[in-house]
Amino acid sequence: MARLDANKATLVKDTLGKLIDRKLLASLEVCVRCGICAESCHYYLADPRPEHAPFYRSEQVRRLYRSLFDPIGRHLPWWVGAQRPTEESLAQLAEMAFSTCTLCRRCTLNCPSGCDTAQIMRAMRTVAVAAGLAPEMLVQLADASIAREEHLEDFKEIYLEQVRALEEEVREATGDPQAHIPVDVEGADILYVALSGAHTILPAAILFHEAGSNWTLSMFEASNYGVFLADTARAKRITERIVREAERLRVREVVVTDCGHAYTTLRWEAPNWFGKPFPFQVRSLIELVAGWISDGIITVDPTHNPEPVTYHDSCNLGRNSGLIEEPRTILRAVCQDFREMTPNREHNYCCGGGGGLVATPEWTDLRLKAGGPKAQQVRATGAQVVAASCDNCRIQLGDISEHYALGTRVVGLMELVVKALVPQRAKGHPLEADVA
Amino acid sequence: MLETKVDKVLDLKGLLCPVPVVKVSQAIKALPIGAVIEATATDPGVLADIPAWARSTGNEVLSIERQNKVITFRVKRVK
Repeated sequence: MARLDANKATLVKDTLGKLIDRKLLASLEVCVRCGICAESCHYYLADPRPEHAPFYRSEQVRRLYRSLFDPIGRHLPWWVGAQRPTEESLAQLAEMAFSTCTLCRRCTLNCPSGCDTAQIMRAMRTVAVAAGLAPEMLVQLADASIAREEHLEDFKEIYLEQVRALEEEVREATGDPQAHIPVDVEGADILYVALSGAHTILPAAILFHEAGSNWTLSMFEASNYGVFLADTARAKRITERIVREAERLRVREVVVTDCGHAYTTLRWEAPNWFGKPFPFQVRSLIELVAGWISDGIITVDPTHNPEPVTYHDSCNLGRNSGLIEEPRTILRAVCQDFREMTPNREHNYCCGGGGGLVATPEWTDLRLKAGGPKAQQVRATGAQVVAASCDNCRIQLGDISEHYALGTRVVGLMELVVKALVPQRAKGHPLEADVA
Repeated sequence: MLETKVDKVLDLKGLLCPVPVVKVSQAIKALPIGAVIEATATDPGVLADIPAWARSTGNEVLSIERQNKVITFRVKRVK
């Protein structure tokens, strides 16, 4: 076992030390190893080995913590089960934190002591980043997001060209030859932050147009790989792009596309990094669309989606952000045969693609295996279509559909809404602003 | 399209971001410095994502062309 050199040992201790607040300390100290969390975890259900139980994973980080911060653990490590870090043990801890936990927090929900295993795993990810042990791909994706702002002039034209190419499809879908996709509009009410690619821009543009919203499209993508790295410096830097843009355009609210971690980050986490509330509201597109349907601002016809549809609750949107009924309001309105998975809502199983796992190809086999419980849930519904409200989930659900031969099609929630849409605006239907 | 020797061809059609970037990154690691990848994709997100990724990793985008809904790009491994 290779001992850590003095500099790395100090780095590990300092990094972990800075993360220890009362909440993390409680999660590190109060676990009684009751084991209830094991059957909450999709990794354990898919492959019931002790090392896949959340309490086991957390215990490995506790051993590191005790060796560095517990007075007894520092001097008599065997007494309290402390383990001083070595090169090998640190690499194992890093791999465990990135590959065998999707940070879904289902174990936290079911823990009688409230241990937040996801927070412990995130702390370990932060330590791994500091020690140079983070998955290369997550680092590359986070840095690419930062480069996109630093060299915005290089990408602006190509991005605008992409947006212009989509406008024709918006006109076709809405039947309005004047329909367009506004970008960089100062004084708009809403800044909409999509993901890279057309699939989150096009449905939203059609729906914003139909609702008559005063909106503008962000130059940046909502995804934040700094969050998956648990690297607050990178995550804050990626978020700053959107915050600066929203402030410059003086929007009233930022609407995040249907993406789990992006919404949770901007809505709940990011204000803490900046130490102040944002001067704009943050909502998910799902909240807006559910409201538009309930208030009759947009008209939908469920017969346009006749196949049986089930819904996968994104852990970040549902369990961690409380967006549980809004997607169901949408699905009941736009589908003829909506079927719940069991369990569902905050008790839903993670699909296995969260926490950055869909972007780390070195653990694809493990990710597909961990998707086993989700595959069983989907199969039991008999649905032909799985609606997803998060891109990471969408990729994983597509992969497990193929891997487990489910024969299901995975569709974005907003794509189902657009398919059911009965365009009214071109016929003089009242706009969102009129109803408000 | 430039007349450049292509060392690896990737079909990324139908894949959503970040998967095209992940596949290019994986493929380029297995090639020597100076090698060129040619890829086709349908997610227009690659138009900005691939140049941003190349810039942050020190690689070079030789070309990006779009014909209808298919995007073809070439990336050279620089380091």
